[in-house]
Amino acid sequence: MTMPADSVIDVADVSKWYGSVVAVNEVSFQVNPGITALLGPNGAGKTTMLHLIAGLAKCSDGQITTLGEPVRNNPSLYQRVSFMPEQESVYGFYTGRQLVEFSAKLYGLSPLAEAVDRAIQIVGMEDAQNRTMDGYSRGMRQRMRLAAAIVHDPQVMILDEPLNGTDPRQRIEFQKVMERLASQGRTILISSHILEEVETMAGRILLMVSGKLAASGDFRAIRAKLDEQAYQVRIVVDQPRRMASAIVALDDVDSVSFDDDGSIVVLSRKVATIQTTLPRMAQENGIRLTRMEPIDESLESLFEYIVER
Amino acid sequence: MLTLLRLSMRQLGGKRRVALILLLSILPIALAVVVSIAEGEDESFDSDFINILLDGLMVGGILPIVTMAVATAAFGNELEDQTLSYIVLKPIPRWHIALSKLLASVIITGPLIIASGAIAAWIGMGADPRISAAVGLALFAGVTTYSSIFSWAGLMTTRALAFAIVYVFLWEGLISSFINGVDYLSVRGYTLAIMHGIDKDGLGELSERVIEFPAAVGGAVAVSVVFFYLTVRRLRNMDVP
Repeated sequence: MTMPADSVIDVADVSKWYGSVVAVNEVSFQVNPGITALLGPNGAGKTTMLHLIAGLAKCSDGQITTLGEPVRNNPSLYQRVSFMPEQESVYGFYTGRQLVEFSAKLYGLSPLAEAVDRAIQIVGMEDAQNRTMDGYSRGMRQRMRLAAAIVHDPQVMILDEPLNGTDPRQRIEFQKVMERLASQGRTILISSHILEEVETMAGRILLMVSGKLAASGDFRAIRAKLDEQAYQVRIVVDQPRRMASAIVALDDVDSVSFDDDGSIVVLSRKVATIQTTLPRMAQENGIRLTRMEPIDESLESLFEYIVER
Repeated sequence: MLTLLRLSMRQLGGKRRVALILLLSILPIALAVVVSIAEGEDESFDSDFINILLDGLMVGGILPIVTMAVATAAFGNELEDQTLSYIVLKPIPRWHIALSKLLASVIITGPLIIASGAIAAWIGMGADPRISAAVGLALFAGVTTYSSIFSWAGLMTTRALAFAIVYVFLWEGLISSFINGVDYLSVRGYTLAIMHGIDKDGLGELSERVIEFPAAVGGAVAVSVVFFYLTVRRLRNMDVP
């Protein structure tokens, strides 16, 4: 495959295996400035791929360069790149500000306070910056981790499932931050197993299934393919029967069923419409919608559907 | 590197760990007080004190136990919490990371262990400053060498404690008592030989079973350096979770 001369991240025929288990299998792609989403069901190899790109793991085969440089054991490159791991564990004894300061010090930033203030302001955590990391909600912790990852104003950002644990409002805020950073010329590679999380912000997607790159390219084209398949969404409301009655009346819904835990499972071929219609419908009917999420198995079948095509 | 050192000290200086070190450090001092009161006039007291309290309890037990509890956690905790990625992807050389972990282990364990041994020797061996200095310096060498080995072990395996226990109690405790020459590859052997080498008169009881002083110093330095190098190499080559 020919690599564009200006690509920021080049992944060339990369494989990674652990013993007899192949986690990533001959994957090649390039990432350019803007937001690129790395999508795939759980266990698809996304985290391994991001670890390889970040330089945390060594390729079993193939090679990866970022900004034209090898990514492994290249401390000077890390000055221009940031990585936010999926796991949320951080130094819980630090306050949010101390975590960002710690990161800034390791990047050798000066003046320190200015960079720290700027990063905390970008993620909107000024008011809670002096609370300990252990005392934050999941979403707040994610934002402070992001602040620590961007404190050195990196050109390239690699974010592994950064929207885990965030509520819809925080998700919108996060998307705005990402879009702003991307508009300044940065290259952002962001992974998710939930399509809707990154749908609105990523211009391009890389779809991984079972360690292989199943599809890549324009988001809308892949989205259109996905929309041809029925899609399951689980919703949790305080009045499930009333909500279910209202949902059944919708044209875009194929079926509605109840799970054992009382949640409603909606099957639809127009998932984008469903995602916007259901919250509005709940609000209009005075029903409290506490959760709405795609069901993984369903998402996986969609990904497989794409691969088969 | 100061930033990493501070972080490492905060990670390793947890209340429970420090309480364990304190407790174990007080033990030799308390025993020294008790036995010096009980057996003050006994002629064999000095040799018993050296054999049982300094060699058996301090160098053979407390020194490795405390050091393994701290040093195996230096990287072990980072791997378990999956926080190592926060530091390895920063623009800092790997040897800075390894050195900060090693120094943190030595700083947390060293002062208490050294003070414990030196004070116990002072109480039990007639307030001889030369003996206390010999014990303190030898324990410093022991703490540094063990810390280097156990920091590496913490990076190599999730069962670093098991490795450390096997090394200390099987290799140094059991095998070295049956096979001549094992002391040349034993931190316990280095520690005792350095102790004896600094004050041959005061610690003459050890003369029959220690290796040569230069060999002990060279061995301790070489082992510390080799395991530090292996730690840096491991940090470069490993897949960080």
